Amino acid sequence: MEEKVITVTSGKGGVGKTTTTANIGAALALLGKKVVVLDGDIGLRNLDIVMGLENRIVYDVVDYVEGRCRLRQALIRDKRAPELYLLPTAQTRDKTAINPEQMVQVCDELRKEFDYIIIDSPAGIEQGFQNALAPADRVLVVTNPEVSSVRDADRVIGLVESHEKGPVQLIINRLIPARVKKQEMLSTQDIMDVLSTEIIGIVPEDEAILSSSNRGTPVVFNGKSPAAIAYRDIARRLIGENVPLTQPQTTSWWQRLLGKTE
Amino acid sequence: MNFLERLFGKRSSAETAKQRLQLVLVHDRAEIPPGVLALIKDDIIAVISRRVNIDREHVVVNVTHEDKASKLVVDIPLLSGTDGQAPGRSGSNAQRSTRRTPSASS
Ligand SMILES: Nc1ncnc2c1ncn2[C@@H]1O[C@H](COP(=O)(O)OP(=O)(O)O)[C@@H](O)[C@H]1O
Ligand SMILES: [Mg+2]
Repeated sequence: MEEKVITVTSGKGGVGKTTTTANIGAALALLGKKVVVLDGDIGLRNLDIVMGLENRIVYDVVDYVEGRCRLRQALIRDKRAPELYLLPTAQTRDKTAINPEQMVQVCDELRKEFDYIIIDSPAGIEQGFQNALAPADRVLVVTNPEVSSVRDADRVIGLVESHEKGPVQLIINRLIPARVKKQEMLSTQDIMDVLSTEIIGIVPEDEAILSSSNRGTPVVFNGKSPAAIAYRDIARRLIGENVPLTQPQTTSWWQRLLGKTE
Repeated sequence: MNFLERLFGKRSSAETAKQRLQLVLVHDRAEIPPGVLALIKDDIIAVISRRVNIDREHVVVNVTHEDKASKLVVDIPLLSGTDGQAPGRSGSNAQRSTRRTPSASS
């Protein structure tokens, strides 16, 4: 089967799922793919604001599931890429507003039109996570180089495998090369040894991420920042290009200075 | 890690993090909390030592994880029959076991 539905999850909250979903979605669209990013966090809508599309929401996925609109009416077009859409979630409902079967149905509809459907999973392993997992063809688990998020990643990887969903690949986010070098932070190799799961990308800690979400512009849209490069590489690996996994390098003061001009 | 820590052979915090994770994940994956494993170990020692003499101090009870399957691995060193009389009528059992695992005899 073609791997169209990609679920981004983590177990622990705040590790970078929403940032990753927005950037991978945008990067795939910039590669010419028709992409929809779907906010799976019912009640805690965030993908819209990170992408800068929050003012354009009229209908959401719960409206569609409950028959108040057509799917097309709920989709928001992001004009910064040729074919990029957001399917927002409801802000005033809870995770039980949609069940896993309905999520599968929504994705089956979307599969007909899109090359990729990227689902931003909520934190935790309850229904919201089950909803995001049910339609997945491929699962990306985001972790930070830090004990609690690695432990939660292991738990989630186990759950994904027990649901026979996969392949599962790991994204290490917020790596700080200088601290790894000083052995103050788990390295990519350490995390690989502990989780024995394939790594699809390493995204460094990057100041550009905060300003990009301040502005509602995912870093991949305008940048040479280290995180933008990492997310674009992940997108190319997802479409099957052979992009070698590179360790983020320690940046010098002058590189940071140049990076800030973006 | 700073110079002094390295000088005194202090383990880096990343190394400690990795080791702690490897330990805790063994239990998470097996769904057996570490405390329960300690209880199982006490039970095993009680049951086995009713029949044979064992080296209680060096009993190891561990969960290993291979290919998505978990195993409880128990390593019980036996004391050779001459080290002490096995309780009950199990002296001969102890000797037989000792012969099967020569490395365990002291
Ligand atoms: N690579 C990164 N560098 C710096 N900050 C990051 C990075 N990735 C995520 N963040 C920040 O971490 C916070 C949590 O990210 P978010 O994507 O909302 O996580 P989640 O969706 O998993 O809860 C946000 O403030 C975001 O800007
Ligand atoms: Mg989020």
